[in-house]
This record gives sequence, structure tokens and C-alpha cells, in this order.
Amino acid sequence: MQPPSFPGAQEPERQQVVESLGLRLNVLEWGHRDATPVVLCHGMFDHGRSFATLAPLLARRFRLIAIDARGHGDSDWADAYHWPIDVADIVSVLRWLGRPCHLVGHSKGGGQATDAARIAPQAVRKLVNIDGFGPPPFPEMLQEIPERMAQHLDARRRRGAQHAWRPYASLDDLIERRKAQNPRLSREWLRYFLYHGARESEDGWRWKCDPIMGDGFGPWRPDWIGPSYASLEMPMLAVVGSEQDTWGLLPGPVLKERLAHVKQLSRCTIHGAGHFAHIEQPAETAAAILDFLDS
Amino acid sequence: MRLQHGRVELELHELAARSQGQPLLLLHELYASGSSWGEGFAPWPGPVYALDFVGHGRSGWVKGGAYTPEILAADVDAALHHIGSAAIVGAGVGAYVALLVAGARRDRVAAALLLPGAGLAGGGPLPDFEREAKSVADLAVPRPSCDPMVTFLEHDVRPLDYVEAFAQKTRKLILLEDGGARPPWWETTRRAGATTSVADLAAGLGQL
Repeated sequence: MQPPSFPGAQEPERQQVVESLGLRLNVLEWGHRDATPVVLCHGMFDHGRSFATLAPLLARRFRLIAIDARGHGDSDWADAYHWPIDVADIVSVLRWLGRPCHLVGHSKGGGQATDAARIAPQAVRKLVNIDGFGPPPFPEMLQEIPERMAQHLDARRRRGAQHAWRPYASLDDLIERRKAQNPRLSREWLRYFLYHGARESEDGWRWKCDPIMGDGFGPWRPDWIGPSYASLEMPMLAVVGSEQDTWGLLPGPVLKERLAHVKQLSRCTIHGAGHFAHIEQPAETAAAILDFLDS
Repeated sequence: MRLQHGRVELELHELAARSQGQPLLLLHELYASGSSWGEGFAPWPGPVYALDFVGHGRSGWVKGGAYTPEILAADVDAALHHIGSAAIVGAGVGAYVALLVAGARRDRVAAALLLPGAGLAGGGPLPDFEREAKSVADLAVPRPSCDPMVTFLEHDVRPLDYVEAFAQKTRKLILLEDGGARPPWWETTRRAGATTSVADLAAGLGQL
């Protein structure tokens, strides 16, 4: 099958491997090598080409480096997953670059880019977070935690050493599966994006991402997110879409309370976009990012 | 013996092979292994097992370096399914993991004896965002025979209401109290569950 195209999506100019904590991370690049780097961190179940329409719009001025997070895209799978280790991968890429950069992240990648900026402030000049401000507060369920852990342990035992997804008969089936989860994303985009996020073999199409990548359990709380922002030493641009979506767009007061901890905050709403502002409205998102990085 | 759990192989030592009596499962402190236990368990009337946590001893290392008490607890759960049911003795991070498993698997864990030791001492009950300006890679100090990434288990944050929920679900908890300092989660455990304090290992085993 010929790789599908999508209006505005450009092939990465370079593809490289960065070693991090025993794994090989795939990174995609656009723009001149000597330009100021901008590191791009995608969301859950996505991969580096999540930025294939945004990056070319920034490439006249910057060197764009999109990471395939561990367990995603063409990066290695791990034996287990834990948020702070994903964050350490971003720090590994910052070290590999060896000079200060800007960080842009979407959704889970936005939250992790924010944490990476907190723990490696000397490497990050400015931070852009696209709707990666965490989930709403959890309901109070503390008494049920041991029971929920037992269910988690049962699920882990049932799954065993699962190494592969079930195959889908066609790329179209993958597109419909993802379309059901993210109805605002066009089928044309999903065809371009999922072609690179899946592999075809004799018995069908399988996701490239690791089936156990979202499988964690622990004491983390959403109410830690806001206070963590207080230790950000660089400016943050907080980007959200104007439209409701199946994920994202926290209730206004929750987002406001979290962002109130950011010392140097700019906010921007991308009209006509939901959770995937950079995919739904790349030109407007790129303009807002350029404005912020120039200011 | 070798146990496959997820993508990692675990080493479960059988320190005393007995066909009768309740099994005992030992969970070591950070940077130790199932071979580190001394002779103190010889009087136990049943079989005695000791697990090497992932990243330690003869168990596999977690590719990519994700080590959490919950991931260790899932490995203990796999060992328990092999053994059937057991009383658990844990030291340091092993004590915390013993508490998680005893709270989540009441049907398999009749009692847990918690011993002091290395692990989770630096994490505290809430994140310290000002002190956190070090990456995990910086924290990874090489140790002989351990995955350097297990160092992360010194610094994992452990909220007190979380540990309290597990402590309250356990059937029986015995804490070795020798006057030494204990991390905040231990102090909470002491107050939360149906706990008994003992002054030494022999007394603790007697209570199990």
C-alpha cells in the first residue's frame, strides 16, 4: 500500500534514534539542524507524526524534534510503564540535544513535557502545553483502593505477557476504531496517521503501540498537578480548543485553579478545535505558538 | 525456581522445603535479594520462600527501568498464586509491598510481619516539587548485582491515606519496633490497622 498523504502533512526530513534508560526512542525531525530546537511530545496512543501538520508550519524558524514515546510509534516497548520514566525519556532527548530548546506537548505529552521542564529547567526556555492539564479530580474512593488493586492484579494475571494486539482486517477497521474514540478527527487524517501507527502483516493490521502501555496502578492524584506548576521556571503557553470532545477540556474552574499556580502564564483558545487543536487547526495553533515563542 | 510474570522472569528461592505447615514468603529490602536472609527463619514450621524482586538478585531487570511498589506487588501476587497462600515477612520496600499485597489479597495473606530496611525512605507522603529537580537518571546509582534504576524505589511518593486504606484491609499486621526511625507510611500503618508490635524477629514469627 502506498503511504497515504494528508493536506499539509510533510514527511520528516530526518529520522534518528536516541538512547534512553536502556530503550531506543525514535525521533522525527523537520527544519534546519542549526535552528533553535523545539521538542514535540505526543499524547497517549499517538506517535510523533501527530505533529506532521504543525511542524512544517514552524520549520522555517525552528528545528522540530518529535519523539515517539516509549511503547509508541517506532520506539521500543518497555517491560512496564510509569509516568516519571516517560518524563525521564524527554529529559534524555533534551540532553542528547545538548542545548536549550522549547518544549511542546499535547495531552499526556503535554503533562509529561511540563514535568520534564520542571526537573530540567536549564534545558527548557519556553513550554507549550496543548490540553495536557490532567484528568478532572477523582471522586473520593480511597476505601476502595485495595479492592481496585485486586482487580488490577487479576487483570494483569489474565493478560500475562501479552505482546501483540489482535489483528484488524484492514486499515479502514483501525480508522473506524479510532474514529469512535476521537470523532472530531477526520477519516482522511486518521488514514494518514494510523498508517504510520500500525503494521500490516499476513493476518491483518495491528497497532504499533504497546498493549500494556496504559496499564498502571498507583497512588498518584490529580490534585498534585496544579501545585507542581508552581515550580516551573519558564513561561508556559496553555492551549485549549473551544469545542467539547471525548477527552480534554477540563471544566473551566478546574483548569483555572490549576493554571493559577503558573508564574508566567499565557493562555490561548483555538476556535473550532477540540482536544487535538494542533491537528484540527494547525495554522491557528502554529500562529499562537510562534507568537508566544517570539514574545 | 523460575516464574514467568508478564515479560520478566522472577526467581523464587525455596529456603526450606516442607510439605506441612503454612508457607512463609520473604520480601527483601531495596538492593538486597532473596539470598540475603539469615538463619532467623529456621524455626518456621512450614515451607519458606524468598522472592528476588525484579532488578535484584537472579530475577530479571525491567527493560526500560519502570520500578514501583505496585509493579513489585504484582510480582508477589504471581508468587502467591504459585505458593497458594502464605504469611509474608517484608523488610523496607518489601515491607511496604507486603502491606499492599496483604490489603489487596486478604484471601491469600493471613498475616504480614513488617521489618525496617532500605527503600521508600526518601519519597515522603506528598510530592516535594521544589526538591524534585533531578531526573530519574541522576538518581540511578549503580549497585553491584542490582539494576541501577531500582534506586527510584527510594524516592517514590507514598501518600498516607493510600497506605492507610491497605493497612485497614489486612487481616493481621505485626510491626517490628526497635526504637529506630521509621518512614511516615510506617507511622500511619502503626495507627491504622489491627497491628501488634514486637521487639525482634523471633517474637514476630511467633505472632505470625
